[in-house]
Amino acid sequence: MKKLIQFKNIVKSFDNQIVLKGINLDIYENEFVTLLGPSGCGKTTLLRILGGFLEQTSGEIVFDGDEISKVPAYKRNLNTVFQKYALFPHLNVYDNIAFGLKIKKQSKDIIEQKVNRMLSLVGLEGYAKRNVTLLSGGQQQRVAIARALVNEPDVLLLDEPLGALDLKLRKEMQHELKKIQQEVGITFIFVTHDQEEALTMSDKIVVMKDGEIIQIGTPTEIYNEPVDEYVARFIGESNIIDGVMKEDYLVDFDDKDYKCVDHGFRENEPVDIMIRPEDIDIVARNKGVLNGEVKSTLFKGVHYEIIVETVSGTSKTVTMHVLGNKDIVNEEEKEKISASNFYMDLEDVPNLTTGDVTARANAQAWNFDNEDLSISKVTYDVKNEKGVYPCTFETSNGTAVTINITVVEPIFTEDATNEEAVQAFDFYKTVDEIKESIALDTDLKRWANATAWSLEDDSVVEIYDVKYDFDDENITEGDYQITFATKGREFKIHTTDYKKEGMKVGLSFAPEDIHVMSKVGF
Amino acid sequence: MKSFSRLVYPYVVWAAIFIVVPMLLIVLYAFTKEGNGVLTLQFTFDNFARFFSDSIFPNVLWRSLKLAIITTVICILIGYPAAYFMSKLHVNKRTMMVLLITLPMWINMLVRTYAWRGILLDVPVSGEIKVYIGMVYNFLPFMILQIYTSLLKMDPSLIAAANDLGANKFETFRRVVLPLSIPGVISGITLVFLPAVSSFFIPKLLGGGDFVLVGNLIENYFVSTGDWNFGSAISLIMAMIILISMFVTKKLDYESAEVGD
Repeated sequence: MKKLIQFKNIVKSFDNQIVLKGINLDIYENEFVTLLGPSGCGKTTLLRILGGFLEQTSGEIVFDGDEISKVPAYKRNLNTVFQKYALFPHLNVYDNIAFGLKIKKQSKDIIEQKVNRMLSLVGLEGYAKRNVTLLSGGQQQRVAIARALVNEPDVLLLDEPLGALDLKLRKEMQHELKKIQQEVGITFIFVTHDQEEALTMSDKIVVMKDGEIIQIGTPTEIYNEPVDEYVARFIGESNIIDGVMKEDYLVDFDDKDYKCVDHGFRENEPVDIMIRPEDIDIVARNKGVLNGEVKSTLFKGVHYEIIVETVSGTSKTVTMHVLGNKDIVNEEEKEKISASNFYMDLEDVPNLTTGDVTARANAQAWNFDNEDLSISKVTYDVKNEKGVYPCTFETSNGTAVTINITVVEPIFTEDATNEEAVQAFDFYKTVDEIKESIALDTDLKRWANATAWSLEDDSVVEIYDVKYDFDDENITEGDYQITFATKGREFKIHTTDYKKEGMKVGLSFAPEDIHVMSKVGF
Repeated sequence: MKSFSRLVYPYVVWAAIFIVVPMLLIVLYAFTKEGNGVLTLQFTFDNFARFFSDSIFPNVLWRSLKLAIITTVICILIGYPAAYFMSKLHVNKRTMMVLLITLPMWINMLVRTYAWRGILLDVPVSGEIKVYIGMVYNFLPFMILQIYTSLLKMDPSLIAAANDLGANKFETFRRVVLPLSIPGVISGITLVFLPAVSSFFIPKLLGGGDFVLVGNLIENYFVSTGDWNFGSAISLIMAMIILISMFVTKKLDYESAEVGD
């Protein structure tokens, strides 16, 4: 095949912001090439530079042997299907398609012949006289393709042309576009952020990120051998695990060695390991290479998506003291006041304010007509050491309530394997507060002040799981245990066999299903 | 929604009292004889016969139409390029330009025309040219703003699409920009031609006494002569001409959208 387009070190910047950082790319005749990447990766900019609507800051574009950077858009032998089609609203379907031919001053009968051929290519026979603004999205799309192809360009540029269509139509158009490309036999350069579109249609996929090309390859290459975590996550679904390459053909993760088919890494090099969900089989416990517990099962149509946890997360259990409602009633002033005991971290004592105390104790006052009253006086004397300290809240009419503030040293659980720590405090709540909560897991995290962090770099780790065994609708006074846990090692598995949540299972995968990738930035 | 539709009632009443009833009165006056009471109404076509029998009146009408047409054409010729270049400016400059163009409209039209009278007093050109200057000056902003808005509304990707299909700047303008801005030009024409054809104080102030137009004629019959019947007839004739010209422009607009080539 012949090289048709060569991008040589294309750089583009807008207002000192670099959008393309030196793109080198060859495109051959007859190829269906997809530029794939999230929005803002520079794929559309590259397409617009090729179309002649933008000029690169530096670099060359060679088109069919000639440098074309200075050639204006209207003289370039390529055509574009625009994102929102950009059909001329004042022209009907026929005149839209005939636009380019009329500019080239072709004779009427030739124009008619060519337009009619295009109309049948895109399946719009009989639509010639229609008003384009009244066509459906899919039909407008076809007109836009016909309008571009009728000029017999060497290259057709498509700028996210399927974005505005609904799912069913999009799938139809994917096949249609591929069919048209094979029929007319020219190069298609297709821009999309949809990995499925890219996999379905392309001969070659160019994965872009932040103005750079990350990987170029056929859909199978990109899917099976992504160069890094970014590509692996972007294309298809995957399980990505931190690991260490012990030696050639041997990789280690979660304290276990696995045979693999990858080699050529440094000894003990930290790597990302990818295993596709469909490459993992669920087998009987102890029959596979890993054991775990089914966390969730989702039906996805053709298959089930099953999450299996093989290593549990780091957890910390606290006690929630549930109290009855104990409003202090002042009959004389017709006022009520309430507040709860609370625990607090020793580290927070120096920065404690009246506002904090009121909020943490959830101190509230109101009169018999249920109108809120302000708390005018808060008395507390908390010392900078462990202990129990009284605190009094008072309204202007002297209705008061006293609670205990318990200052404790933070206790957290560390997990060396997960390299994480979780911290949480015991707390007091009333029955009503628990019943009134509309997002109990979130509230429990907040009440217990539960946090988790990485021991490696102190970054925040999400509290993934809140476990408790009370029924919040019918809770009564007493002490309850609540466990906050981070996410452990979970594997996503696609299988057609149903597995019940909570089942203990084994996982099995072959050495060739483990794909080892260099860490981004190494 | 339904309850809000009642808000239109005050306007309906207002329109009935101040627009519909006076119009009907004009029609009534135009078809009746002078000086008869409510009970002794005498219907007649004399007022219209009088207008067309004396060649002065049709001549004045023709002169008014000519003035309005030429004013409109000049406004398009100056206004279109102005609007086109404005629409190409950076957004900040665009806003500034719109402000500059609308700024004179904050001042009363009559005052501005008096100013022009002072400026043109010793300029040795005919009264007719002075009238054109005054007319174009007063009506140009309406034309510019209408065209400017329609150009601004245009999807820039259409221009990119035309370039992509091989059209150079000129072809792009001729085949895409111009046809799509025609609705703006049409509404500009409506806003310029209508007031221009019936204007009377600009010709009166700038043209001296010798430049009589239909507007002046109507003013004369109502204010000076007191012949409301004949004045009404002239008004009615002019209203008919305006209606016809509006119908024609609408028709042209429609066809330009249909054919487009």
